[in-house]
Amino acid sequence: MRIVVCIKQVPSSGDVTVDPVTHNLVREKAGSMLNPSDYNAIEAALLLREQLSESGSDCKVAAVTMGPPDAQEVLRTAMAMGADEACLLTDRQFAGGDTIATATVLAAGIEKYGAYDLIIAGAESSDGATGQVGPMVAERLSIPHIAMVQEMEAATDSLIAVKKMNGTRIKLKASMPALVTVRYGANEPRLATLRSRMAAKKKPIVTYTNEELGLPRSAIGAEGSPTVVTESFRPEIVNTCEFMTGNPKEIARQMLALIEKERGNS
Amino acid sequence: MEKIKIGIIGGGIAGTALGYYLSLYDNAEISIFEKDRVGCGSTAKSAGTVCLFDDSLSNRYWDVRLYGFETYLKMEQEEKGSAGFDKTGTLVVATTPEVEKVIKTGIALAKAAGYEGEYITDKERIKQILPDISTEHILGAGYTKDDGYFDGTMISNTFAKKFKQNGGKIHTMTKVVKILKEGNKATGLETADGAWHMFDYVVDCTGPWSRMTGEMADVNEPVWHTKAEAFFLSPPGKKLNYTFPVLKYPAFYALRAGDNIFICKAHLSMDLNDPMHAGNWNPDEIPATGGTDDYFIEFLYEQLEATVPGIVDSGLVSSWLSYRAETKDFLPILGETPVEGYLVASGYGGNGVIEAPAASRDLAKFIMTGEKTPLLEDWAFMRLAKEA
Repeated sequence: MRIVVCIKQVPSSGDVTVDPVTHNLVREKAGSMLNPSDYNAIEAALLLREQLSESGSDCKVAAVTMGPPDAQEVLRTAMAMGADEACLLTDRQFAGGDTIATATVLAAGIEKYGAYDLIIAGAESSDGATGQVGPMVAERLSIPHIAMVQEMEAATDSLIAVKKMNGTRIKLKASMPALVTVRYGANEPRLATLRSRMAAKKKPIVTYTNEELGLPRSAIGAEGSPTVVTESFRPEIVNTCEFMTGNPKEIARQMLALIEKERGNS
Repeated sequence: MEKIKIGIIGGGIAGTALGYYLSLYDNAEISIFEKDRVGCGSTAKSAGTVCLFDDSLSNRYWDVRLYGFETYLKMEQEEKGSAGFDKTGTLVVATTPEVEKVIKTGIALAKAAGYEGEYITDKERIKQILPDISTEHILGAGYTKDDGYFDGTMISNTFAKKFKQNGGKIHTMTKVVKILKEGNKATGLETADGAWHMFDYVVDCTGPWSRMTGEMADVNEPVWHTKAEAFFLSPPGKKLNYTFPVLKYPAFYALRAGDNIFICKAHLSMDLNDPMHAGNWNPDEIPATGGTDDYFIEFLYEQLEATVPGIVDSGLVSSWLSYRAETKDFLPILGETPVEGYLVASGYGGNGVIEAPAASRDLAKFIMTGEKTPLLEDWAFMRLAKEA
C-alpha cells in the first residue's frame, strides 16, 4: 500500500497579518511549524503502516506539502516521525492560492509523484481553519473522502473509518483509492527522537515546480482563487493572572476554589 | 532619615532579588520596572539548578553558592513551593583529573556546611544512581541527595511578594524608554507612558537586554549573549522508574522536568569567539518555544550517545532558546559604572539563580551604606571596562 500524507507549514505565532492590498497572509515575521492536526494525520499513516506490516503487507508513507522552499522543514519533521519519503511542491506561481487553488496543486503533485492508495490530511489548518482542502483534493482526484476521522483500518482495497458525530460513533467504509482527513487529537502522535531527526536531515526530498506539474496560471495561485481573505484579526484577550503556590494538591484545591467562585458557587 | 530612592530596571531574578534586599533597609524607597511580567523573561527559561558542587561557579565563590542555596531552602521552609524546589540530588561526573579535583573540593566544602556529599569511583554504584549512564571513560562522580533544582520564576515572584510586603513598588507591563541624566549623573528614568521617575540610583537588572539598557545611559556594558538551547526529551517508555538527578558533565547538563528530561549545553563550555555559541542579538526576537539550531541538537545527540546511551532514543518533546547575558570572563558585572548613579547587576550568564541572592545582598549594602564587599570588588564593572 502507498499512503500519501498532505501536510502544511503554518505560522507558529499569532502575529500574522493580512496584507491590505494582496489580502495574503504576511508570514515573514511569524515563526513556522507543522500544522497541529497534521501530526495526527502522520501518526494515523504510521499506525496503518504498522498494522499492515504486522499482517505481512508492505506499506510506504510519503509526506507532501505545498509551500515556500523552507516548507521542507515540515517534511523533515514528518520523516523524523517516520515517513519514508517526502515531496515539496514549490513555485512562486502557487503563492496566494485559496483552498481550491491549493487543492489543485496538491492533487496534481500527488498524481505526478506516483500511484497511491490512500491520502491522509489533517482535518483543518491552524491558520485558515476552513477544513476544505482535504475534501477538495479528493474531488479533484475523483476519489471518495471521509472527513474528521477518529480512527481507521485498511484492507487491500478498502478502508474502514470511524468518526464521531453528535455523541455517537459512525463506521464508514470506502473503496480505495480514497482520502480521509484526521481530526486534531484523534491519536497521540509519536515524538521524533534526536536520532531520527538527524537521519531525516540526510534524506532526499523530491521537489516539483509548476514546470513539472504544468498547471495553467488561471487555476493556481492568486489568479486561480475564487475566494479571498479580506481581514484577519485577533479577538480581544483579557489578561488576568493569579499566582498560586504550594504543592500540587494545595494548588489543585486553590484552583477548584477559584473555579467554584467564578461559577458563583462559593 | 532621608530616603534613598532606587529605580530598578528588570523584574527577573536579578531585579526582584535586589529589590528585596534593598527593601530590608528602612530608608530605601524602591521601584522595579518590568516591561512584561515578573520572572517571565530569560529567568523563566533558566534550568534553576543550584548544586552544592559542580563547575557552574568556581569554588572561589563557594559562599555565593551556599548563600543562594540556603536562601531558597528558607523560602521553601516559609512557604512550600515558593522556590519550586525539586530535591533530585546531583551527580557530577569527573572526566579528567582536573574536574575530579574541583568536585572533591566542592564535596569537602559542602560537608563543611553540613550537607552530604561523596565522591564515588565504584561504577556499579554510579549506575545504581543513574541506570542509563555509561561509566566508560569516567573517573568517578560526585553525588549528593541534598540539592536539586529550583524554579526561577517562582523565586522571582516570591522575592517580589516579600518586596511589596516591605513597601516596594513594582510596575509591570511598563517599559523604560529613557534614562534621565544631568551631565554624567543618572537622575531617573522615563517610562513608555511618558512619565518621569526620579531616583538617586538607577540599576540595570535587565540581563540579556543590558547592552540596550546601557545605551540609554551612554554606558557601553560589556555583556554578550551565549545561546542557551534547551531540549525537552520524553524518555523511552515515557517515564523513568528512578529519580533522575541533576546530571552535570563539563559539556552539558540534564535534569528532570516532570516526566521529561531537560538537557542543555553548559554555559562554561561556550566559546565566545564562535558565532554559533555567542554573539550580540536581540532578545525581543526570541520565540516562546523553538528557535533552536540543529547544531545544538547534533551536539547533544553525540553527547548523549557517548554518556547516557539509555536515553538517546528519547522523543524530542519541545525546545526553547534563551540568551544568557555573558561577560568575557563568565563572571557578573556588579556595581558602579562610569556614569554616576547608574549601577548594574547583570552578566550572570547561566548562574543568575545561584548568584542573585549574594550579589543582591552585597549590592544593596553598597547602595545603602557605601561599603563594598570582596564580591563587589571581584565582580566590578570596571574590570571589564576596557573590553566594552
